[in-house]
Amino acid sequence: MSVLARSVGNAFRNRVRTAAVVAVLAVAIGLALSMLVANQAVTGKVAELNASVGTVLTVNPAGGQGFEGGGEPLTAAQAATAAKVPNVSSVVGTKALRLRNAAAAAAEAAASQTGQAGPGGQGGPGLPGGQSATSVTTSLRAAIDAGTLGNRNQSSGTTGGTGSTSQSAPAFSLPVTATGIGAEVDSSGKALQLTQGTGLGNYTASSAGALLGITLAEKNNLKVGSTFTIGDKTFTVKGLFDAGTAFGNNALYLTLPTAQSLAALPGELSSMIVTVNSMENVDAAKTALQTALGTDKADVSQGQRNLQTAVSSLDSVKNISFIAFAAALATAGLIILLIMVMLVRERRREIGVLKAIGAPNRTIGLQFVLEALVLVALGSAVGAAVASFASGGIASALISSNSTTAAATGRRGGPGGFPGGFPGGFPEGNPLGGANQLLTSVTASASPGVIAAGIAAVFGVAIIGALVPALLTARIRPIEVLRGE
Amino acid sequence: MIEVKNLVRTFKSGDRTIKPVNDVSFELEQGTLASIVGKSGSGKSTLLSLLGALDKPTSGDVLVDGVSLAGMPDGQLTRYRRRDIGFVFQQFNLIPNLSAVDNVMLPMEFAGIRKAARAERARQLLEQVQLGPEKHVRRINRLSGGEQQRVAIARALANEPKLILADEPTGNLDEQTGEHIIELLSALSRDYNTTILVVTHDRALANKTDRRFRLQQGRLTEETARNRAAASLPG
Ligand SMILES: Nc1ncnc2c1ncn2[C@@H]1O[C@H](COP(=O)(O)OP(=O)(O)OP(=O)(O)O)[C@@H](O)[C@H]1O
Ligand SMILES: [Mg+2]
Repeated sequence: MSVLARSVGNAFRNRVRTAAVVAVLAVAIGLALSMLVANQAVTGKVAELNASVGTVLTVNPAGGQGFEGGGEPLTAAQAATAAKVPNVSSVVGTKALRLRNAAAAAAEAAASQTGQAGPGGQGGPGLPGGQSATSVTTSLRAAIDAGTLGNRNQSSGTTGGTGSTSQSAPAFSLPVTATGIGAEVDSSGKALQLTQGTGLGNYTASSAGALLGITLAEKNNLKVGSTFTIGDKTFTVKGLFDAGTAFGNNALYLTLPTAQSLAALPGELSSMIVTVNSMENVDAAKTALQTALGTDKADVSQGQRNLQTAVSSLDSVKNISFIAFAAALATAGLIILLIMVMLVRERRREIGVLKAIGAPNRTIGLQFVLEALVLVALGSAVGAAVASFASGGIASALISSNSTTAAATGRRGGPGGFPGGFPGGFPEGNPLGGANQLLTSVTASASPGVIAAGIAAVFGVAIIGALVPALLTARIRPIEVLRGE
Repeated sequence: MIEVKNLVRTFKSGDRTIKPVNDVSFELEQGTLASIVGKSGSGKSTLLSLLGALDKPTSGDVLVDGVSLAGMPDGQLTRYRRRDIGFVFQQFNLIPNLSAVDNVMLPMEFAGIRKAARAERARQLLEQVQLGPEKHVRRINRLSGGEQQRVAIARALANEPKLILADEPTGNLDEQTGEHIIELLSALSRDYNTTILVVTHDRALANKTDRRFRLQQGRLTEETARNRAAASLPG
């Protein structure tokens, strides 16, 4: 019989009471763990959102965001100006091209007798206003078929009569977006997620290499090393990327000079992705950038405006869940403290016996701490089970109540708040989208690691809670053994 | 050798002070079997608790082999209780949710004896006090009063103490088992040179001891051959 065995035995001495204590502990521990899981999920999400797009500004040609078409295109000189603005850590120019499948374009031309898709190109991948994108033919076929929006957008510039729409509609195919980029980032400034192959090396030099979205490559049976044509040039697939969205993956990236020369517009940019050195400087940098470039020349927009609202509301969820975690943890500690104080009082005489037969204080203290830990272990096991069922519900309850307000304030951002020029757009651009994504990651991150960390914290608090009554046992004198019950 | 010098223990109850141990002095040579008799409430248990370092005297001192308990820090008092004293309590004071063997093993565990060795010794001791092997693993609260008494005696012997303090060790036993316990105690004092101080109401037991004390209202007197005749008079 060891101290541990005695502690375990003592923990089960009064089974009904043990069950009651474990149940109460399980509720507190379960709540603590649920809150920790929610907190971890939200913290991770906030960090991810901040890291990905939190400090990115987008510069488009003035007026380029609406349907009305814009003024002058952006130039390399403006990129140099932008780079000199304080707190700007990098400027990446992009040049977007609309690639039409050569065969489809010919068929369309025959059907509608107009050579080009008109300026209604903001559908599908959503090129800004169409004016800064130049159409070029390609051997590639789009990976996605045009949906209702796509058809409407594609046909809007070509058909006047409704009669011809039904006839010509099947001939339309979505264009493929080719973007020349000055660094290995997507159009929202996020690092490209290459799933195969390598990058293009120097993005500021001409190259016959291209990076393809995984679905686009699949549709055209292309692998790393395969070739295809844009205009009259042949390109080699250097790598494949996954943008995470269907439209985002119906795209390809070239180096910036390559795209500019394909468009025959050297030095011209569709947009600039400006990264600011920190979240706090974004607003100041945006104003400075707008001033430096001139309001008549360029529009500076902050793609994550809406997102910021979502982030700040997620921040409050984070704080609430952390406070709730701490409170539930403290409650568990308090329960242990009170139970153990009660047990020490109840076993006063027995502690006297142990002392009378020569038990050192630390042995008795240890015995009580271990007994508390046995109760906590049982409570944690039940609590973890409770948490694994409840944490999803608790987290979504917390987040949905917050994302409603986030959505409301997000929409107030106004029309035109979304820069349209992002192939694939921001999946997080919509705060509700952010919250929904968060929900999936909430369930995903109820990981054993987080639960283990939470249980470690519970044990830490339990030891502190049990230490007080354990130290009380040191003050019980052996003569208690002679006192009646 | 144990020396008791002017030992006093007073309790305050309300505005009255009671002195269950009032200026008690005596000496016991190592290996002596001694008994204390006295009326209920005369202070016998209080005196034993002072000798066993369960309680501290109001004044006076106890010297064990010349070492004073009065100035001893708590840690050393614990060690004294563990190594030098075997206590048989009037109310047994066994741990109710442990088995007989586990109870006897406890003092050995505190003394750091290996598990196998303590289990072995615990079984031997329980056999010595005539507790059937089938009862060794039984929980204490499933044993009779007399059986618990014997487990309590076995526990007191566990660490081969120099001094055994037994408070009414035969109070719950039938004559035959009581007889056996007395034999056991006198064998210990004889063979292992253990000093034994027994509180008893049992005249037969008292008569078998080397020295007999009587406690009356906190004062200790020894029954010598001369005053024994007077003491054994009826009344
Ligand atoms: N902690 C205490 N506080 C106050 N009075 C006490 C305390 N402990 C003992 N007493 C009193 O001291 C007296 C002696 O008690 P003690 O237990 O030593 O008697 P005893 O001789 O062992 O009696 P018995 O034969 O009934 O066991 C009693 O009157 C008792 O009420
Ligand atoms: Mg007594």
